[in-house]
Amino acid sequence: MPSIKLQPHCSSPAKATTTTPTPNNPLPALLQTPSGLALLELQGTINVPSGNEEDDLDHSTSTENPASTFETPIGKLMFPDYSFHNPDDTKWMKRAYMYVGRYQRMTGEVKKLPRPIAVLRKRHASEGEELEVVEIVRYKIFFKSRPEPVTNV
Amino acid sequence: MSTQDSRGILFTHTRPQEGFRLLELTPELEELLTSKDAPVLELKSPSTALAQAVIDPTAHDYVNLCTPTQTYRIRQVQSSNSLHILRPSRGEISQADIKVVEEDAGESGALNLPDEAVTAISKCSSTLELHIPPGGFSVIPFLEKSLRLYDRRSDDDGDIAMGGSADPTAPLGSKKMRSARENVYQDIPMSTAQCEQGWMELCAFVDGAEEVACWRPSARSRLAVWKRLVDGAILQGIDLEKQFLVGDLWKSVVDDEEMELPFPRALLEAVVRRICIADERPPLSDDIKWASFDKVECTQWVGETYLAATAPTTSSAIGRSELLRAWKDCLPETWRGEVALSKLPNGCYNSPDPTTICFVEPSQRQPTSKTASAPATAAKAKNTRNWHELLKGRR
Repeated sequence: MPSIKLQPHCSSPAKATTTTPTPNNPLPALLQTPSGLALLELQGTINVPSGNEEDDLDHSTSTENPASTFETPIGKLMFPDYSFHNPDDTKWMKRAYMYVGRYQRMTGEVKKLPRPIAVLRKRHASEGEELEVVEIVRYKIFFKSRPEPVTNV
Repeated sequence: MSTQDSRGILFTHTRPQEGFRLLELTPELEELLTSKDAPVLELKSPSTALAQAVIDPTAHDYVNLCTPTQTYRIRQVQSSNSLHILRPSRGEISQADIKVVEEDAGESGALNLPDEAVTAISKCSSTLELHIPPGGFSVIPFLEKSLRLYDRRSDDDGDIAMGGSADPTAPLGSKKMRSARENVYQDIPMSTAQCEQGWMELCAFVDGAEEVACWRPSARSRLAVWKRLVDGAILQGIDLEKQFLVGDLWKSVVDDEEMELPFPRALLEAVVRRICIADERPPLSDDIKWASFDKVECTQWVGETYLAATAPTTSSAIGRSELLRAWKDCLPETWRGEVALSKLPNGCYNSPDPTTICFVEPSQRQPTSKTASAPATAAKAKNTRNWHELLKGRR
Protein backbone atom coordinates (compact mmCIF):
# COMPACT_ATOMS: atom_id res chain seq x y z
CA MET A 1 0.00 0.00 0.00
CA PRO A 2 2.36 2.66 -1.18
CA SER A 3 0.01 5.62 -1.20
CA ILE A 4 -2.07 7.21 1.54
CA LYS A 5 -4.28 10.15 0.76
CA LEU A 6 -4.04 13.32 2.81
CA GLN A 7 -7.27 15.27 2.55
CA PRO A 8 -6.79 19.03 2.74
CA HIS A 9 -9.91 19.59 4.80
CA CYS A 10 -11.57 17.97 7.71
CA SER A 11 -14.46 15.71 6.73
CA SER A 12 -16.64 17.14 9.47
CA PRO A 13 -15.23 20.47 10.59
CA ALA A 14 -17.18 20.48 13.81
CA LYS A 15 -16.41 16.88 14.64
CA ALA A 16 -14.59 17.72 17.82
CA THR A 17 -17.49 19.68 19.10
CA THR A 18 -20.62 18.11 17.64
CA THR A 19 -21.57 16.22 20.76
CA THR A 20 -22.04 19.39 22.74
CA PRO A 21 -22.69 22.97 21.72
CA THR A 22 -19.45 24.65 20.64
CA PRO A 23 -17.77 25.73 23.85
CA ASN A 24 -16.66 29.27 24.31
CA ASN A 25 -12.98 29.63 23.43
CA PRO A 26 -11.34 31.51 26.30
CA LEU A 27 -7.95 31.92 24.61
CA PRO A 28 -6.76 35.26 23.22
CA ALA A 29 -8.13 35.83 19.72
CA LEU A 30 -4.70 35.37 18.16
CA LEU A 31 -4.57 31.79 19.44
CA GLN A 32 -8.06 30.89 18.33
CA THR A 33 -8.51 28.73 15.27
CA PRO A 34 -11.68 27.68 13.45
CA SER A 35 -11.56 24.22 14.99
CA GLY A 36 -10.59 25.57 18.40
CA LEU A 37 -7.30 23.66 18.42
CA ALA A 38 -4.19 25.38 19.80
CA LEU A 39 -0.64 24.31 20.55
CA LEU A 40 1.10 24.33 23.91
CA GLU A 41 4.77 23.44 24.21
CA LEU A 42 6.27 22.44 27.52
CA GLN A 43 9.67 21.49 28.68
CA GLY A 44 8.91 18.10 30.08
CA THR A 45 5.45 16.67 30.05
CA ILE A 46 2.18 16.50 31.89
CA ASN A 47 2.00 13.50 34.17
CA VAL A 48 -1.49 12.57 35.08
CA PRO A 49 -1.61 10.30 38.11
CA SER A 50 -4.28 7.93 36.86
CA GLY A 51 -2.76 5.34 34.56
CA ASN A 52 0.19 5.58 32.24
CA GLU A 53 0.61 7.55 29.04
CA GLU A 54 0.74 4.54 26.72
CA ASP A 55 -2.89 3.79 27.38
CA ASP A 56 -3.76 7.20 26.06
CA LEU A 57 -2.95 6.24 22.53
CA ASP A 58 -5.72 3.70 22.50
CA HIS A 59 -8.20 6.32 21.50
CA SER A 60 -9.95 4.72 18.56
CA THR A 61 -12.69 3.00 20.51
CA SER A 62 -13.15 5.22 23.48
CA THR A 63 -13.49 8.64 21.85
CA GLU A 64 -16.72 7.53 20.23
CA ASN A 65 -18.26 7.42 23.66
CA PRO A 66 -18.19 10.86 25.25
CA ALA A 67 -19.22 9.49 28.61
CA SER A 68 -15.88 7.77 28.94
CA THR A 69 -13.84 10.95 28.57
CA PHE A 70 -13.03 13.00 31.60
CA GLU A 71 -10.86 15.97 32.39
CA THR A 72 -8.31 16.29 35.13
CA PRO A 73 -7.66 19.86 36.22
CA ILE A 74 -4.01 20.80 36.10
CA GLY A 75 -3.82 24.48 36.66
CA LYS A 76 -4.48 27.77 34.99
CA LEU A 77 -3.22 29.63 31.97
CA MET A 78 -2.83 33.38 32.22
CA PHE A 79 -1.94 36.05 29.76
CA PRO A 80 -1.43 38.90 32.22
CA ASP A 81 -0.87 41.63 29.66
CA TYR A 82 -3.61 40.62 27.28
CA SER A 83 -6.49 42.97 26.94
CA PHE A 84 -9.64 41.89 25.25
CA HIS A 85 -10.23 45.52 24.29
CA ASN A 86 -6.98 45.87 22.44
CA PRO A 87 -6.35 42.56 20.70
CA ASP A 88 -4.14 44.05 17.98
CA ASP A 89 -1.42 45.06 20.39
CA THR A 90 0.89 42.05 20.47
CA LYS A 91 3.09 43.05 23.44
CA TRP A 92 1.07 40.73 25.66
CA MET A 93 2.58 37.76 23.82
CA LYS A 94 5.82 38.23 25.72
CA ARG A 95 4.35 36.98 28.95
CA ALA A 96 2.28 33.94 29.78
CA TYR A 97 1.89 32.03 33.00
CA MET A 98 0.90 28.52 33.65
CA TYR A 99 0.00 27.58 37.17
CA VAL A 100 0.43 23.96 38.02
CA GLY A 101 -1.80 23.29 40.92
CA ARG A 102 -1.89 26.33 43.16
CA TYR A 103 1.68 26.77 44.22
CA GLN A 104 3.82 26.35 41.13
CA ARG A 105 4.09 28.59 38.16
CA MET A 106 5.81 28.46 34.79
CA THR A 107 6.66 31.59 32.87
CA GLY A 108 6.53 31.53 29.13
CA GLU A 109 5.35 33.38 26.09
CA VAL A 110 3.23 33.14 22.99
CA LYS A 111 5.31 32.64 19.89
CA LYS A 112 4.58 32.78 16.22
CA LEU A 113 5.71 29.49 14.73
CA PRO A 114 8.58 29.83 12.25
CA ARG A 115 6.51 27.67 9.97
CA PRO A 116 2.84 26.94 10.36
CA ILE A 117 1.99 23.46 11.58
CA ALA A 118 -0.76 21.33 10.14
CA VAL A 119 -2.57 19.15 12.64
CA LEU A 120 -3.31 15.80 11.02
CA ARG A 121 -5.37 12.87 12.09
CA LYS A 122 -6.76 9.68 10.68
CA ARG A 123 -10.00 10.22 8.89
CA HIS A 124 -12.81 8.29 10.43
CA ALA A 125 -15.36 6.39 8.41
CA SER A 126 -13.38 6.21 5.22
CA GLU A 127 -12.31 3.24 3.18
CA GLY A 128 -8.69 2.37 3.66
CA GLU A 129 -6.26 4.55 5.47
CA GLU A 130 -6.67 8.25 4.97
CA LEU A 131 -5.43 11.31 6.78
CA GLU A 132 -6.89 14.76 6.96
CA VAL A 133 -5.73 18.21 7.89
CA VAL A 134 -7.83 19.25 10.85
CA GLU A 135 -6.29 22.65 11.38
CA ILE A 136 -3.35 24.84 10.46
CA VAL A 137 -1.87 26.43 13.57
CA ARG A 138 0.39 29.50 13.43
CA TYR A 139 1.11 30.28 17.08
CA LYS A 140 2.06 28.31 20.13
CA ILE A 141 2.06 28.92 23.85
CA PHE A 142 5.57 28.10 24.90
CA PHE A 143 6.92 27.36 28.38
CA LYS A 144 10.59 26.63 28.23
CA SER A 145 11.41 27.02 31.91
CA ARG A 146 10.65 24.80 34.86
CA PRO A 147 7.91 25.60 37.32
CA GLU A 148 8.84 27.89 40.18
CA PRO A 149 7.16 27.95 43.55
CA VAL A 150 4.73 30.73 44.26
CA THR A 151 3.26 31.45 47.62
CA ASN A 152 0.55 33.81 46.71
CA VAL A 153 -1.64 33.35 43.67
CA MET B 1 -14.34 37.36 28.79
CA SER B 2 -13.06 40.84 29.32
CA THR B 3 -11.81 39.91 32.75
CA GLN B 4 -10.08 36.73 31.78
CA ASP B 5 -6.66 38.30 32.10
CA SER B 6 -7.05 38.64 35.81
CA ARG B 7 -8.69 35.30 36.37
CA GLY B 8 -6.81 33.00 34.10
CA ILE B 9 -8.12 30.12 32.09
CA LEU B 10 -8.65 26.76 33.68
CA PHE B 11 -6.34 24.21 32.14
CA THR B 12 -7.18 20.52 32.20
CA HIS B 13 -6.01 17.23 30.77
CA THR B 14 -8.50 15.07 28.92
CA ARG B 15 -8.41 11.32 29.05
CA PRO B 16 -8.39 9.35 26.88
CA GLN B 17 -6.12 11.33 24.62
CA GLU B 18 -6.58 11.51 20.87
CA GLY B 19 -4.07 10.67 18.17
CA PHE B 20 -2.75 13.53 16.06
CA ARG B 21 0.32 14.18 13.98
CA LEU B 22 1.94 17.56 13.49
CA LEU B 23 3.29 18.45 10.09
CA GLU B 24 5.40 21.53 9.61
CA LEU B 25 4.38 23.27 6.40
CA THR B 26 6.56 24.97 3.84
CA PRO B 27 5.26 28.31 2.53
CA GLU B 28 4.21 26.68 -0.75
CA LEU B 29 2.29 23.96 1.07
CA GLU B 30 0.60 26.45 3.35
CA GLU B 31 -0.56 28.38 0.34
CA LEU B 32 -1.78 25.21 -1.33
CA LEU B 33 -3.66 23.93 1.70
CA THR B 34 -5.30 27.25 2.48
CA SER B 35 -6.38 27.86 -1.10
CA LYS B 36 -10.01 27.48 -1.94
CA ASP B 37 -9.69 24.36 -4.06
CA ALA B 38 -6.93 22.70 -2.08
CA PRO B 39 -5.91 19.44 -3.76
CA VAL B 40 -5.71 16.06 -2.08
CA LEU B 41 -2.11 15.33 -1.14
CA GLU B 42 -0.51 11.94 -1.04
CA LEU B 43 1.91 10.20 1.26
CA LYS B 44 3.84 7.90 -1.02
CA SER B 45 6.52 5.32 -0.52
CA PRO B 46 7.88 3.04 -3.22
CA SER B 47 6.47 -0.44 -3.68
CA THR B 48 8.62 -3.14 -2.08
CA ALA B 49 10.03 -4.19 -5.44
CA LEU B 50 10.90 -0.63 -6.42
CA ALA B 51 12.43 0.14 -3.04
CA GLN B 52 14.83 -2.74 -3.61
CA ALA B 53 15.57 -1.78 -7.18
CA VAL B 54 16.08 1.92 -6.64
CA ILE B 55 18.07 2.38 -3.46
CA ASP B 56 18.13 5.78 -1.88
CA PRO B 57 21.53 6.14 -0.21
CA THR B 58 20.23 8.71 2.26
CA ALA B 59 17.28 6.81 3.63
CA HIS B 60 16.26 3.24 4.16
CA ASP B 61 12.56 3.51 4.63
CA TYR B 62 10.98 6.72 3.71
CA VAL B 63 7.71 8.41 2.98
CA ASN B 64 7.33 11.32 0.62
CA LEU B 65 4.62 13.92 0.72
CA CYS B 66 3.42 14.69 -2.79
CA THR B 67 1.38 17.61 -3.97
CA PRO B 68 0.18 17.41 -7.58
CA THR B 69 3.47 18.96 -8.72
CA GLN B 70 5.99 18.77 -5.90
CA THR B 71 7.62 16.09 -3.73
CA TYR B 72 8.98 16.44 -0.20
CA ARG B 73 10.78 13.91 1.95
CA ILE B 74 9.17 13.56 5.37
CA ARG B 75 11.46 13.49 8.35
CA GLN B 76 10.26 12.76 11.84
CA VAL B 77 11.95 15.11 14.29
CA GLN B 78 11.85 14.16 17.95
CA SER B 79 11.77 16.87 20.54
CA SER B 80 12.60 16.74 24.22
CA ASN B 81 9.78 19.18 24.76
CA SER B 82 6.26 17.96 24.46
CA LEU B 83 3.69 19.60 22.28
CA HIS B 84 0.15 19.42 23.54
CA ILE B 85 -2.90 20.07 21.46
CA LEU B 86 -5.50 22.13 23.27
CA ARG B 87 -9.12 22.76 22.62
CA PRO B 88 -11.81 24.57 24.56
CA SER B 89 -13.15 22.40 27.32
CA ARG B 90 -16.61 20.91 27.04
CA GLY B 91 -16.98 21.26 30.76
CA GLU B 92 -16.70 17.60 31.67
CA ILE B 93 -15.20 18.49 34.98
CA SER B 94 -16.70 18.64 38.39
CA GLN B 95 -16.70 21.86 40.37
CA ALA B 96 -15.17 19.98 43.26
CA ASP B 97 -12.11 19.10 41.20
CA ILE B 98 -11.46 22.69 40.37
CA LYS B 99 -10.52 23.30 43.98
CA VAL B 100 -7.23 21.65 43.20
CA VAL B 101 -6.20 24.69 41.29
CA GLU B 102 -8.37 27.46 42.67
CA GLU B 103 -8.70 28.68 46.19
CA ASP B 104 -12.16 28.20 47.60
CA ALA B 105 -12.83 31.88 47.64
CA GLY B 106 -10.24 33.91 45.78
CA GLU B 107 -10.23 37.67 46.14
CA SER B 108 -11.64 37.86 42.62
CA GLY B 109 -14.58 36.17 44.22
CA ALA B 110 -15.33 33.57 41.63
CA LEU B 111 -14.32 30.18 40.46
CA ASN B 112 -13.66 29.74 36.83
CA LEU B 113 -16.67 28.60 34.99
CA PRO B 114 -16.09 25.28 33.30
CA ASP B 115 -16.76 26.79 29.90
CA GLU B 116 -13.80 29.08 30.38
CA ALA B 117 -11.37 26.25 30.25
CA VAL B 118 -9.05 24.66 27.77
CA THR B 119 -8.03 21.05 27.81
CA ALA B 120 -5.07 19.12 26.48
CA ILE B 121 -6.37 16.37 24.22
CA SER B 122 -3.20 15.06 22.65
CA LYS B 123 0.53 14.98 23.17
CA CYS B 124 3.03 14.88 20.33
CA SER B 125 6.68 14.31 21.06
CA SER B 126 7.71 14.63 17.44
CA THR B 127 6.83 16.72 14.45
CA LEU B 128 7.05 15.84 10.79
CA GLU B 129 9.31 18.13 8.83
CA LEU B 130 9.62 18.35 5.08
CA HIS B 131 12.69 18.76 3.01
CA ILE B 132 13.92 18.39 -0.52
CA PRO B 133 17.31 16.72 -0.77
CA PRO B 134 20.01 18.67 -2.60
CA GLY B 135 19.67 17.72 -6.23
CA GLY B 136 15.98 17.10 -5.85
CA PHE B 137 14.18 13.88 -6.61
CA SER B 138 14.71 11.92 -9.77
CA VAL B 139 11.82 9.95 -11.11
CA ILE B 140 13.79 8.43 -14.01
CA PRO B 141 15.34 5.47 -12.12
CA PHE B 142 11.90 4.50 -10.85
CA LEU B 143 10.35 4.71 -14.30
CA GLU B 144 13.20 2.74 -15.82
CA LYS B 145 12.55 -0.07 -13.37
CA SER B 146 8.79 0.08 -13.78
CA LEU B 147 8.49 0.16 -17.56
CA ARG B 148 9.26 -2.61 -19.99
CA LEU B 149 12.15 -1.99 -22.32
CA TYR B 150 11.09 -1.64 -25.93
CA ASP B 151 14.08 -2.52 -28.07
CA ARG B 152 13.03 -3.40 -31.59
CA ARG B 153 14.23 -1.74 -34.68
CA SER B 154 11.96 -1.27 -37.61
CA ASP B 155 14.22 -3.37 -39.76
CA ASP B 156 14.04 -6.35 -37.41
CA ASP B 157 12.05 -9.21 -38.76
CA GLY B 158 8.58 -9.13 -37.49
CA ASP B 159 8.78 -12.24 -35.35
CA ILE B 160 8.16 -10.36 -32.17
CA ALA B 161 6.45 -7.37 -33.65
CA MET B 162 3.56 -5.91 -31.76
CA GLY B 163 0.29 -5.42 -33.44
CA GLY B 164 -1.03 -8.54 -35.02
CA SER B 165 -4.48 -9.02 -36.35
CA ALA B 166 -6.29 -6.44 -34.28
CA ASP B 167 -6.24 -3.07 -35.94
CA PRO B 168 -2.97 -1.84 -34.55
CA THR B 169 -3.36 1.69 -35.78
CA ALA B 170 -6.40 2.23 -33.62
CA PRO B 171 -4.92 4.05 -30.67
CA LEU B 172 -5.86 3.15 -27.18
CA GLY B 173 -8.44 5.50 -25.71
CA SER B 174 -6.83 8.32 -23.80
CA LYS B 175 -8.71 7.20 -20.71
CA LYS B 176 -7.14 3.77 -20.84
CA MET B 177 -3.70 5.21 -21.45
CA ARG B 178 -4.13 7.48 -18.52
CA SER B 179 -5.13 4.74 -16.15
CA ALA B 180 -2.18 2.64 -17.37
CA ARG B 181 0.15 5.55 -16.59
CA GLU B 182 -1.44 6.16 -13.22
CA ASN B 183 -0.97 2.52 -12.35
CA VAL B 184 2.74 2.97 -12.88
CA TYR B 185 2.88 6.22 -10.89
CA GLN B 186 1.07 4.60 -7.99
CA ASP B 187 4.24 2.81 -6.93
CA ILE B 188 6.61 5.73 -7.54
CA PRO B 189 7.06 8.00 -4.53
CA MET B 190 6.89 11.26 -6.48
CA SER B 191 4.26 13.75 -7.54
CA THR B 192 2.19 13.07 -10.64
CA ALA B 193 3.66 16.08 -12.45
CA GLN B 194 7.20 14.81 -11.84
CA CYS B 195 6.20 11.33 -13.01
CA GLU B 196 4.64 12.77 -16.17
CA GLN B 197 7.75 14.83 -16.84
CA GLY B 198 9.95 11.75 -16.51
CA TRP B 199 7.56 9.73 -18.65
CA MET B 200 7.78 12.31 -21.38
CA GLU B 201 11.56 12.54 -21.08
CA LEU B 202 11.95 8.80 -21.59
CA CYS B 203 9.51 8.79 -24.56
CA ALA B 204 7.55 6.17 -22.64
CA PHE B 205 4.32 4.97 -24.20
CA VAL B 206 1.33 2.75 -23.60
CA ASP B 207 0.63 0.06 -26.11
CA GLY B 208 -2.58 -1.88 -26.18
CA ALA B 209 -2.12 -4.08 -29.22
CA GLU B 210 -1.98 -7.38 -27.36
CA GLU B 211 -2.29 -6.36 -23.76
CA VAL B 212 -2.07 -2.95 -22.23
CA ALA B 213 1.54 -2.43 -21.33
CA CYS B 214 3.82 0.51 -20.62
CA TRP B 215 7.10 0.70 -22.45
CA ARG B 216 10.21 2.78 -22.55
CA PRO B 217 12.05 2.64 -25.85
CA SER B 218 15.76 1.90 -25.88
CA ALA B 219 18.07 4.52 -27.36
CA ARG B 220 18.34 2.27 -30.41
CA SER B 221 14.56 2.26 -30.90
CA ARG B 222 14.31 6.01 -30.37
CA LEU B 223 16.99 6.58 -32.94
CA ALA B 224 15.23 4.24 -35.36
CA VAL B 225 11.99 6.19 -34.91
CA TRP B 226 13.82 9.44 -35.52
CA LYS B 227 15.49 8.21 -38.72
CA ARG B 228 12.22 6.86 -40.06
CA LEU B 229 10.50 10.11 -39.16
CA VAL B 230 13.07 12.22 -41.00
CA ASP B 231 12.89 9.98 -44.07
CA GLY B 232 9.11 10.14 -44.06
CA ALA B 233 9.07 13.90 -43.61
CA ILE B 234 11.48 14.42 -46.49
CA LEU B 235 9.48 12.09 -48.71
CA GLN B 236 6.21 13.84 -47.99
CA GLY B 237 7.68 17.34 -47.91
CA ILE B 238 6.84 17.99 -44.27
CA ASP B 239 8.85 20.86 -42.85
CA LEU B 240 9.67 19.75 -39.32
CA GLU B 241 10.49 23.28 -38.20
CA LYS B 242 7.01 24.50 -39.06
CA GLN B 243 3.81 23.24 -37.53
CA PHE B 244 2.78 19.90 -38.94
CA LEU B 245 0.02 17.44 -38.21
CA VAL B 246 1.35 14.48 -36.28
CA GLY B 247 -1.17 12.36 -38.16
CA ASP B 248 0.45 13.37 -41.47
CA LEU B 249 3.85 12.46 -40.10
CA TRP B 250 2.56 9.06 -39.03
CA LYS B 251 1.15 8.47 -42.54
CA SER B 252 4.49 9.39 -44.03
CA VAL B 253 6.21 6.89 -41.77
CA VAL B 254 3.87 3.99 -42.52
CA ASP B 255 4.81 2.29 -45.72
CA ASP B 256 1.74 1.05 -47.54
CA GLU B 257 3.68 -1.80 -49.07
CA GLU B 258 4.59 -3.22 -45.70
CA MET B 259 2.20 -5.41 -43.81
CA GLU B 260 3.79 -4.72 -40.50
CA LEU B 261 3.97 -1.36 -38.88
CA PRO B 262 7.50 -0.22 -38.15
CA PHE B 263 6.56 0.63 -34.57
CA PRO B 264 3.43 1.59 -32.64
CA ARG B 265 1.96 4.97 -33.36
CA ALA B 266 2.12 5.72 -29.65
CA LEU B 267 5.90 5.48 -29.85
CA LEU B 268 6.08 7.99 -32.68
CA GLU B 269 3.85 10.32 -30.70
CA ALA B 270 6.02 9.88 -27.61
CA VAL B 271 9.15 10.79 -29.55
CA VAL B 272 7.45 13.78 -31.20
CA ARG B 273 6.22 14.92 -27.82
CA ARG B 274 9.70 14.66 -26.37
CA ILE B 275 11.44 16.72 -29.03
CA CYS B 276 8.74 19.18 -30.01
CA ILE B 277 9.05 22.80 -28.88
CA ALA B 278 8.39 22.70 -25.15
CA ASP B 279 5.96 25.62 -25.12
CA GLU B 280 3.74 23.85 -27.61
CA ARG B 281 3.82 20.52 -25.83
CA PRO B 282 0.37 19.45 -24.70
CA PRO B 283 -0.02 17.70 -21.35
CA LEU B 284 0.17 13.90 -21.50
CA SER B 285 -3.57 13.70 -20.95
CA ASP B 286 -4.15 15.39 -24.32
CA ASP B 287 -3.38 13.96 -27.72
CA ILE B 288 -0.54 15.55 -29.56
CA LYS B 289 -2.12 16.78 -32.79
CA TRP B 290 0.25 19.48 -33.94
CA ALA B 291 3.95 19.82 -33.39
CA SER B 292 7.01 21.58 -34.65
CA PHE B 293 10.65 21.00 -33.85
CA ASP B 294 13.38 23.35 -32.84
CA LYS B 295 16.48 22.72 -34.90
CA VAL B 296 18.96 23.28 -32.08
CA GLU B 297 17.22 21.27 -29.37
CA CYS B 298 16.34 18.51 -31.73
CA THR B 299 19.91 18.20 -32.97
CA GLN B 300 21.09 17.94 -29.40
CA TRP B 301 18.62 15.18 -28.62
CA VAL B 302 19.57 13.25 -31.74
CA GLY B 303 23.27 13.49 -30.89
CA GLU B 304 22.74 12.28 -27.35
CA THR B 305 20.45 9.49 -28.50
CA TYR B 306 22.88 8.39 -31.18
CA LEU B 307 25.69 8.22 -28.66
CA ALA B 308 23.53 6.31 -26.18
CA ALA B 309 22.55 3.85 -28.91
CA THR B 310 25.99 3.19 -30.36
CA ALA B 311 28.44 3.81 -27.53
CA PRO B 312 26.59 3.15 -24.28
CA THR B 313 29.70 2.18 -22.28
CA THR B 314 33.41 2.99 -22.12
CA SER B 315 34.29 -0.31 -23.76
CA SER B 316 32.12 0.47 -26.76
CA ALA B 317 33.45 3.99 -27.25
CA ILE B 318 33.50 5.25 -30.83
CA GLY B 319 35.71 7.73 -32.63
CA ARG B 320 34.72 11.36 -32.30
CA SER B 321 34.83 12.03 -36.02
CA GLU B 322 32.76 8.91 -36.59
CA LEU B 323 30.14 10.25 -34.19
CA LEU B 324 30.03 13.65 -35.88
CA ARG B 325 29.64 12.09 -39.31
CA ALA B 326 26.91 9.68 -38.25
CA TRP B 327 25.14 12.38 -36.25
CA LYS B 328 25.00 14.62 -39.33
CA ASP B 329 23.65 11.74 -41.36
CA CYS B 330 20.73 11.40 -38.98
CA LEU B 331 19.61 14.99 -39.57
CA PRO B 332 17.74 16.76 -42.33
CA GLU B 333 20.14 18.39 -44.85
CA THR B 334 19.65 21.93 -43.56
CA TRP B 335 20.36 21.03 -39.92
CA ARG B 336 23.76 19.49 -40.43
CA GLY B 337 25.54 22.73 -39.60
CA GLU B 338 24.28 22.43 -36.01
CA VAL B 339 26.43 19.41 -35.28
CA ALA B 340 29.33 19.97 -32.88
CA LEU B 341 30.57 18.18 -29.79
CA SER B 342 29.93 21.30 -27.76
CA LYS B 343 26.23 21.00 -28.64
CA LEU B 344 25.86 17.77 -26.68
CA PRO B 345 24.22 18.23 -23.28
CA ASN B 346 26.59 18.87 -20.39
CA GLY B 347 28.11 15.75 -18.93
CA CYS B 348 26.38 13.34 -21.29
CA TYR B 349 29.65 11.98 -22.65
CA ASN B 350 33.02 10.82 -21.54
CA SER B 351 36.27 10.46 -23.45
CA PRO B 352 38.21 7.29 -22.61
CA ASP B 353 41.01 8.66 -24.80
CA PRO B 354 41.43 11.88 -26.80
CA THR B 355 39.90 10.55 -30.01
CA THR B 356 37.01 8.48 -28.71
CA ILE B 357 33.76 9.22 -26.99
CA CYS B 358 31.10 7.29 -25.13
CA PHE B 359 27.80 7.92 -23.44
CA VAL B 360 27.37 8.55 -19.72
CA GLU B 361 24.14 7.34 -18.14
CA PRO B 362 22.18 10.20 -16.56
CA SER B 363 22.48 8.54 -13.15
CA GLN B 364 26.29 8.50 -13.43
CA ARG B 365 26.65 12.15 -14.33
CA GLN B 366 28.00 14.77 -12.00
CA PRO B 367 25.09 16.44 -10.32
CA THR B 368 24.41 19.80 -11.87
CA SER B 369 23.29 22.72 -9.84
CA LYS B 370 20.20 23.33 -11.93
CA THR B 371 18.31 20.44 -10.33
CA ALA B 372 18.69 21.93 -6.87
CA SER B 373 15.66 24.11 -7.09
CA ALA B 374 14.60 27.00 -4.96
CA PRO B 375 12.52 24.96 -2.50
CA ALA B 376 15.64 22.96 -1.65
CA THR B 377 17.51 26.03 -0.55
CA ALA B 378 14.51 27.19 1.39
CA ALA B 379 14.41 23.87 3.19
CA LYS B 380 18.09 24.14 3.92
CA ALA B 381 17.82 27.55 5.47
CA LYS B 382 15.11 26.25 7.71
CA ASN B 383 17.11 23.25 8.81
CA THR B 384 19.51 25.36 10.80
CA ARG B 385 16.94 25.31 13.57
CA ASN B 386 17.50 21.62 13.82
CA TRP B 387 20.44 20.70 16.02
CA HIS B 388 20.90 17.36 14.26
CA GLU B 389 21.65 19.26 11.11
CA LEU B 390 23.85 21.80 12.83
CA LEU B 391 26.02 19.10 14.37
CA LYS B 392 26.20 17.17 11.14
CA GLY B 393 27.61 20.23 9.44
CA ARG B 394 30.35 20.59 12.03
CA ARG B 395 31.62 17.07 11.82
